[in-house]
Amino acid sequence: MIRVIIGGVLIFAGLFVLGIATIGIFRFSTMLNRIHVAAKCDTLGALLVLSGLIVLSGFNVFSLKLALVIVFLWLCNPAASHLVARAEVKTNPNLEQICDFLDMTGEGEIKEC
Amino acid sequence: MNEELRRIWKSFFDWVMGNGPRPENEVIPPEPPPDLPFTRKPKDKYSRFHEATLKERYNQWLEIHGLHLFSVLYAGLSVLTCIVIVSLLLATVAELPPFGHERNPANNEVIRRYVEHGGHETGAQNIVAGLILDYRAFDTFGESAVLFTAAVSVLMLLGASRRNRAESELQPHTYEIGRNFLQRGPPSLGHHVFRRDDTILHSVANLSIPVILMMGCVVVINGHLSPGGGFSGGAILSTALILAANAYGFERVHEFFNERTFIISSSTALMIYALSKGYSFFTGANHIHSIIPKGTIGNILSGGLILPLNLCVGLIVAGTLYGFYALFSEGDM
Repeated sequence: MIRVIIGGVLIFAGLFVLGIATIGIFRFSTMLNRIHVAAKCDTLGALLVLSGLIVLSGFNVFSLKLALVIVFLWLCNPAASHLVARAEVKTNPNLEQICDFLDMTGEGEIKEC
Repeated sequence: MNEELRRIWKSFFDWVMGNGPRPENEVIPPEPPPDLPFTRKPKDKYSRFHEATLKERYNQWLEIHGLHLFSVLYAGLSVLTCIVIVSLLLATVAELPPFGHERNPANNEVIRRYVEHGGHETGAQNIVAGLILDYRAFDTFGESAVLFTAAVSVLMLLGASRRNRAESELQPHTYEIGRNFLQRGPPSLGHHVFRRDDTILHSVANLSIPVILMMGCVVVINGHLSPGGGFSGGAILSTALILAANAYGFERVHEFFNERTFIISSSTALMIYALSKGYSFFTGANHIHSIIPKGTIGNILSGGLILPLNLCVGLIVAGTLYGFYALFSEGDM
C-alpha cells in the first residue's frame, strides 16, 4: 500500500513536470528558451516517472532495466540538448537580437561554438 | 611564349564575350525599364470607339477578381475534400471487423499453422522471426535487396558528381579563364567541419558507443529467441556508427568502414542469404533431406538458418543506414 502511494506520488510529480515542459515549449518564443525548458523538464520528469515505476514494481530484473533506462536518458538527453543548442548558435544569424552573448573567450567575438 | 599565347587567347576571349575595350564614340542605348512582375500595364486603345469584345471584358474581369475568386474556391474545395475523405475513412473504419474477434477473416488456418507448428518446423522461439526468415524468407531477401540497391544507387549518383568535381579541379587553367566571365566562386565542397574538441559529445560517445554496439549485436544474434532481429539490430548498430562519425569525425570511421567495406560486406551477405535460402527452399520443395539442423528450441544455436540470415540482414541494414547518413551529409563514405 505504501509502495503504491509512493509510486503514484512520484509518477504524478513526473507527469506534472512533463506537463510544465509541454506548456513551456509552446509559451517560449525563441529556440534556446525552448531547449532550456525541454531539456531540464524532460530529464527530471523522466527520472520521476521511471523511479515511480521502479517503486511500483519492486526489486527485480524489470526495475533494473528501468534503472538502466534512467542512466541512458541522463546520459543522452543533456548531450542531445547541447548539440541542438550548438547547432542553433552556429547557424542562426540573428542571434544577437534575441539573446545576450555571454562573452566566454574575452575577445568579444564568438566565431564558432 | 606561353605567356604571350595566354595573353592573345585572353584578348580573343574578351573580344568574343564582348568585354573588350570599347571605341570612344560608341553609343550605348539606354536600358528599357524592367518589366516588373505582378503589375498591370495600361492598355493602349487603338481607336476612340474601341468596343471591348466579350473575351476582353472577361479577361479584364479575371484580372481584377481572379485571384480573390481563386483563393475562395481553393479554400472551399480543400475543406470539401477534407470532409469527404475524413467521412469516407470513418465509414470504412466503422465497417472493419472488431479487433481480436475469433470470427475475423484474418484469423484463419494460416495463423493456426504458424502458432501450432511454427516452433518445431522452424526451430525458432520467436514466431515472428521464424515467419519472416523461414516461411517468408524470400520477402525479407527482397527487402534487404531493396535497401542495398537504394544505397548503391545513391553511391553511384553522388560518386559521379564527386568524379566530375575532381576532373574540374584537375584543370585549373581553363577554370581560371571561365571564372573571369562567369564570376563564379570555387565550387563549394559542402563538407562539414567537425569540431573535435566538443568535450560533452566526446565523453558521452566514449561511454555509450560500446554499449550501443553490444546492444545491437545482442539484438541481431538473439533474433530467433527474443523480439528484435536483423532489421532492428542493424538499425542500432548503424546509430552507433553515426554517433562515432559525429563525435570523432568521418575519417575515423573511414579507417574501418568505407565504401569498399560496405560494398564487399553487403554483397557477400546478400549472396550468402540467396544461396542458403535457395538451398533450403529447393530441398524443402522437393522433399529432399536438408543438412541444416534445427537444433533444440531455446538454444542460441537453433532455428536452422535463422541466425546466419539475421546476421546477413543486420550487416546490410547497418551498412545501408550509415551509408545514407554519410553520403547525404559528407558526400562520400
